[in-house]
Amino acid sequence: METRIRTFIDLLLKKAEEEGFVEAEVYFESDASTSVQALEGKIIQFESSDASGLSFRGLFEGQMGYSYTEDISEEMIPFLLSQAKDNCRVLEVKEKVTVYEGDKEYPEFNGFNEDLLKIGYDEMAKTALELEKKTLAYDSRIESVDDCYVVYSSGELLIVNSKGMVCESKDNELAVYVGCRAKDGEDVQTAGKSWSFTSFSDLDIDDCAKTVGKKVIDKLGAHSVPSVKSPIILDRYAARSLLAAFAGSFSADAMQKGLSRLAGRIGEKIANENITLIDEGMIGNSPHCIPFDSEGVSAKRTVLIDKGVFVSALHNRKTALVEGISSTGNGFRGGAKGSLGISPTNFHFEKGPLTQDELLAKMKDGFYITALHGLHAGVNSISGDFSLMTEGFLVKDGKITEPVNQITIADNFFDVLLKVEDLADDVDYFAFDSSHIQSPSILIPDVSVAGE
Amino acid sequence: MLSTASMERILAAALSHGGDFSEIYIERTKLSSVSLLNGVVESTGSSIDCGIGIRILEGDKCVYVYSNDIYNEEKLIRMAKNASASLSEVPGGRTVYLKPVIEYTSQPCQISPSTVAKSEKVLKLRKAGETAKNYSSLITQTSAGCSDAEKEIWIANSDGLNVSDKRCRSRLIIQAIASDGNEKQTGYFGPGSGEGYEFVERYDLDEKAVEAARIASTMISAKPCPSGKMPVVIGNAFGGVIFHEACGHALEATAVGIRSSYFTDKQGLAIASPIVTAYDDAKINKEWGSYDVDDEGTPSTTNLLIKDGILNSYLVDKIGSRRMGVPSTGCARRQNYSYAPTSRMSNTFIAPGKSTKEEIIADTEYGLYATNMGGGSVDTTTGEFNFAVNEAYIIRNGKICEPVKGATLIGKGNEVLMNIDRVGNDLSLAQGVCGSASGSIPVDVGQPTIRVSEITVGGQA
Repeated sequence: METRIRTFIDLLLKKAEEEGFVEAEVYFESDASTSVQALEGKIIQFESSDASGLSFRGLFEGQMGYSYTEDISEEMIPFLLSQAKDNCRVLEVKEKVTVYEGDKEYPEFNGFNEDLLKIGYDEMAKTALELEKKTLAYDSRIESVDDCYVVYSSGELLIVNSKGMVCESKDNELAVYVGCRAKDGEDVQTAGKSWSFTSFSDLDIDDCAKTVGKKVIDKLGAHSVPSVKSPIILDRYAARSLLAAFAGSFSADAMQKGLSRLAGRIGEKIANENITLIDEGMIGNSPHCIPFDSEGVSAKRTVLIDKGVFVSALHNRKTALVEGISSTGNGFRGGAKGSLGISPTNFHFEKGPLTQDELLAKMKDGFYITALHGLHAGVNSISGDFSLMTEGFLVKDGKITEPVNQITIADNFFDVLLKVEDLADDVDYFAFDSSHIQSPSILIPDVSVAGE
Repeated sequence: MLSTASMERILAAALSHGGDFSEIYIERTKLSSVSLLNGVVESTGSSIDCGIGIRILEGDKCVYVYSNDIYNEEKLIRMAKNASASLSEVPGGRTVYLKPVIEYTSQPCQISPSTVAKSEKVLKLRKAGETAKNYSSLITQTSAGCSDAEKEIWIANSDGLNVSDKRCRSRLIIQAIASDGNEKQTGYFGPGSGEGYEFVERYDLDEKAVEAARIASTMISAKPCPSGKMPVVIGNAFGGVIFHEACGHALEATAVGIRSSYFTDKQGLAIASPIVTAYDDAKINKEWGSYDVDDEGTPSTTNLLIKDGILNSYLVDKIGSRRMGVPSTGCARRQNYSYAPTSRMSNTFIAPGKSTKEEIIADTEYGLYATNMGGGSVDTTTGEFNFAVNEAYIIRNGKICEPVKGATLIGKGNEVLMNIDRVGNDLSLAQGVCGSASGSIPVDVGQPTIRVSEITVGGQA
């Protein structure tokens, strides 16, 4: 970390004490990224950035007030302190919030790969151009690769507080996104996928091109179907996006505020026995490991649903205090600017006993759903109801057949938990995947599918 | 702030190796927010965002770099030179002279929000929360919030353009949650304006609190929505989100310029039913989505998108203009300095027609009346869109009947526009936030009550 930043933070904490803050904490985040976009055999966009933000929070008159700046200069100290104080004066939070003294030990974390630093503009441009070329070459019906990005990003995080806690971490990754369109007569389809890598040698251009190419070609000829009640399989991408949309229901903060249907239900059966749900900060070599949360609490492994029984919620220090337990290490801010809330880390359903083929055979006839759209709007995150535009394939006699689209599926997430018939074994926590929420494919009986 | 001479040096450095155009965008934004849950002030924040973005164009190729370090000229020149070097290995370069600055104030504020004590904002929010709570015993939770932004920007480019702009926006949020055992339903409004605290002071949030509570309590007893294809009457104001998603995004040069939109090459052709006329109008006084000058320094316009069903104009920014060979329509926008600008919407709406809302409903034998829409999304290549419906009723024999919950509308943008068979006379606008390539920006959507002859409705029943 730059000494200029450490000097600024030390001065800010000293001034905060002089201004009457009982406790204080500084959260500093700095991100740098470089990205290239290829289109029609040329690099059409190159972006590079270097941005940082600093958040102050301080305890004054019993409340924890926040302020934030991207202008990190000494003249901003009075702004940070006066705004945080003003915010304390209006807050009415009942729970006693404090800054953390830190854990004795933190998991070893090496999220920064020096090798990635060696990739320069030329290498990134070459990769993007090759990705575009190979995706186009996959099938003559692929008309264009409208989105082809290679992005390198790195981030640094530093949390320092008046109780002497210093938490620091650094990470980097290489991300790739390929989106293309295919045309067959009047039929136009699109498909895209993103990956993230912690090492350049893991990037397999041929595989990325083939995956997206196959995805879009498989969709050609997709049609709607008449409305029906049917069993469906959500593949691992569709299943995890559904889980992500309702992850907030497992937050103790939502429960304590009466904004989750799971409030007061610890110890009850809320899911079928084949469901186990886990949150795990450090998970092998996953590119999404997080050694500590935004309060400086070290990473934990929390079982939320154990064979159908709801055993724990996700906590930060404030919600844990209310219930007289310890934080599960899920106190996160949405970036330096956000105030402290609760978020999952590596959040996943445990895999089931069946292969994907066995799961298809078990369903026999129904739908194999590969994507859910409109998750930001088509879900009622409190009641659990969802009605979502979707796409996938018809399954006949256990075999994936023709593609379908322009259909919706509607059900309730909490009902789905109880009726999941089986899960496949195809979840891969260590895939070069861009999501920290994972699920295997799941078979759900009796879902409303709406179409023509 | 950087001096004119500094800006000239950075703009020149950005063209030192390659590029035919360079641009600087500097921003300083003061943001403040406060929110209440069940009448208790749960969170509040104050922040300063500041940064600079440097953009270089060479034909339709774009290089964009940004940083928060807005005072460090030496570092910015180094960044500009490196960015330029990614375009060409051949040192070129030229001198840049800026014209005298033109100062705009797109959204003036009479009362600067940062001068108003948060405790005053809290009083108003607390009252609205209580109003919603007292509406019915079914209302178990309420939330209310107020947020504002005072943004100052400076744009300069290698053509000598030199402008500054001040934009002030205020927004209120009221949400009511009704509960009935396991079931929970919400009602929500988020009115906003391109003004200062005078908007918050003037606005009747209690009225919206009652509306939000009414929607939540009505929907709690609603039956699951039937599914299948049927006629749908879409309510005015936020109902315009359907046009925003299904048509607006596909008219943006971002998609049309690379020929990926389904409206590519359709100018002068019928893309909607002849009763549809639509605008993107950034010039509406003090509106949430308005601005006088766009984020490339081009004055804003009233853009007639569709006239009597015929595609009249696209939404074109500078790169789009280069790709499509037509002038910019002054629609380049970005969330902040960390995004290169691109073609976006401002206040987009379907113009009023002749029918009254009552006539449209009376004329519908069976269908869905979607009075309040939620959000949605669209694929501008295939035209496929989806929207959530927050409040809906079944229409039977020309009468509004029972409420239904959990409806989603899906379809293809190009087909839906052709299937609009009634346009009402009750145009109204509503405020929202649109997320796309250049980040999240404030926009208005709008329309009168309209009817679509056939649309796929997804529901649980």
